[in-house]
Amino acid sequence: MKGYLGIDVGSVSTNLVFVDENGGVREAVYLRTRGRPIETIQAGLREVAGRLPAKTAVRGVGCTGSGRHLAGVIAGADVVKNEITSHATAACALAPGVRTVLEIGGQDSKIIIIRDGVVADFAMNTVCAAGTGSFLDQQAARLNIPIEDFGPTALESGAPVRIAGRCAVFAESDMIHKQQMGYGLPDILAGLCEALVRNYLNNVGKGKEILSPVVFQGGVAANVGMKRAFEQALGLTVQIPPHYGVMGAVGAALLAREKMARGGNSRFRGFGVAATRFAAGGFECDGCPNLCEVVEIKREGEVIARWGDRCGKWSSALTPEEKTG
Amino acid sequence: MKPKVGIPRALLYYYYFPLWRAFFQSLGAEVSLSGPTNKTVLGRGLKQAGDDVCLPVKLAFGHILELAGRVDYLFLPRLVSVAPGEYICPKFLGLPDMVRQTVDGLPPLIDTTVDLYRRHSSLWPTFARTGQRLKCGRWLVYAAYRRALAEQGRFESLLRAGRPPEQAMALAARDGNEQPPETAEQPLVAVIGHPYNIYDHYISMNLLQRLRAAGVRPVTAEMLSEETVRREAATLPKRLFWTLSRRMTGAAFYYLRDARVQGMIHVASFACGPDSITGELIERRARREGHVPFLNLTLDEHTGEAGVVTRLEAFLDMLQRCRGGGVPAAGPCRDGAPAAGTEETAGRAGCALPALVPSAAGGGNFR
Repeated sequence: MKGYLGIDVGSVSTNLVFVDENGGVREAVYLRTRGRPIETIQAGLREVAGRLPAKTAVRGVGCTGSGRHLAGVIAGADVVKNEITSHATAACALAPGVRTVLEIGGQDSKIIIIRDGVVADFAMNTVCAAGTGSFLDQQAARLNIPIEDFGPTALESGAPVRIAGRCAVFAESDMIHKQQMGYGLPDILAGLCEALVRNYLNNVGKGKEILSPVVFQGGVAANVGMKRAFEQALGLTVQIPPHYGVMGAVGAALLAREKMARGGNSRFRGFGVAATRFAAGGFECDGCPNLCEVVEIKREGEVIARWGDRCGKWSSALTPEEKTG
Repeated sequence: MKPKVGIPRALLYYYYFPLWRAFFQSLGAEVSLSGPTNKTVLGRGLKQAGDDVCLPVKLAFGHILELAGRVDYLFLPRLVSVAPGEYICPKFLGLPDMVRQTVDGLPPLIDTTVDLYRRHSSLWPTFARTGQRLKCGRWLVYAAYRRALAEQGRFESLLRAGRPPEQAMALAARDGNEQPPETAEQPLVAVIGHPYNIYDHYISMNLLQRLRAAGVRPVTAEMLSEETVRREAATLPKRLFWTLSRRMTGAAFYYLRDARVQGMIHVASFACGPDSITGELIERRARREGHVPFLNLTLDEHTGEAGVVTRLEAFLDMLQRCRGGGVPAAGPCRDGAPAAGTEETAGRAGCALPALVPSAAGGGNFR
């Protein structure tokens, strides 16, 4: 089998997919990043390699997510793309004709407006992570319900309570208040979903023209309570595409396919990198008053990538083949 | 010995440095400019300035601290108004006081007031008082004032010809006829923001260079004439009385109608009151007209570039994919965009930035 590897290294999860020549998703791996991106990427590569047939050829690799540069160096990427472009590419492929993409991940949320298969507008949340997956995770833990049960429980609600959703900290105190007043758990959870959707539409979705078909993707799309809250707030049907949780990785793989179609050999280092010893280190450059914090990635003790310097003194000291763009 | 006058590389330095520099140099003073922004300068500013002020003012504190120990005078004009019936942000007005109250070991401040709020007011009294502070004779001060206006005029026409401010400053000092820069046929992206945000490499995280590296040519409010900006801003139902906001809004409206402009990036600094209003005004107009993709970037004191870079990359990808063929007639991008407004660029002397220098036709403000 021949195909393309997509790697999405986010703050909360690291996803890897293998996409065949026709763009079909063959394998998908979802792992928690747990603050150790390098190890997680290696574990993911090991897992994908184990699941694929022995004679699989990787024709290209695409990386995305906040850890995209790191993943690009470790795996040897042909394409390193931002999350917006990757998510939009995947949505267009898996939900043809889509015009609005709602995406909520672990630490960020975004809206992408697509018209005629091209991104026409987008927005990402600002520094505040209110209303993202981490917050739902945290609240589920506090209420002692598994995150998988969050959505189904919320659907049981007949009368969701009103919860202040402007800020995650306020939402939490409001929820505690409502819970102490005796409201049922399903009503509180459904109320929380509605609050998060309100927050999302008022911040990320502000001023955006949300037209059907609407696709909801990212890890939070697993929560049926959130899906229903979006449908009620928008008055539109919301589709959840297959592989909704790994759409960034799918997009990265498709972008790699697009790039490799123009020719050239993949820079993929092979699945063997899972067993290679990588180390990340850093130092503060004292060459000028900017005191840049330079990050160094070493493979078997040899520096293969550096970034973080504003002037390029360190990052450009490496040969071009060793840099990822 | 020549007195040394320090000018911080911050705030309206990007608009008026040639004016001030030429004036002080003509009086026989030595002008000492603080260095380009870096982490240390910003860090000192953040520590020194109060928490309530915006990022650019905090940064100005850093530049002032850099100069404090090594100059005889610190030039911090109290900018109240630079155009009739309009104001500069109150944080500029209060800057000399904020600095005096919080910075120890300051050299004497030259904080003469610049106030052109009333019709027919002139800059001359400001310069006359500044000259007095340096104990210079009135005729010498007047000659320096005229020279300063001439240099500022050259600087402004260089800006309109598309030179970035710091390049224009260097060229304006040389008093020669400069050829306009070569401009290749490149897609244009309008960058709308305060000059002290977009032209500061450190604060803007190299936004303009990143755009150039990506093969697009950034265009800014500084490349338009005052008349154009004023005409465009006048399409608002109510007059904007903040000079800087009016410039940004007017320029944005102009570029929204320019068929060559493929995208617009609005750069706001966190905690800037006027930016929060003009940003909204511009974004609504952009969405209503619907021809130019719009990106809002908020700059803050964090040093992580990831947020800005991710958004910028995505925006450029979006523009490129829009351009890159296959866009249907009713596509999301520019289809049958309105004809470009007529803009008389470069070459005309005079017609000022915020109306500081008389136009060739003879502005009434200066005598």
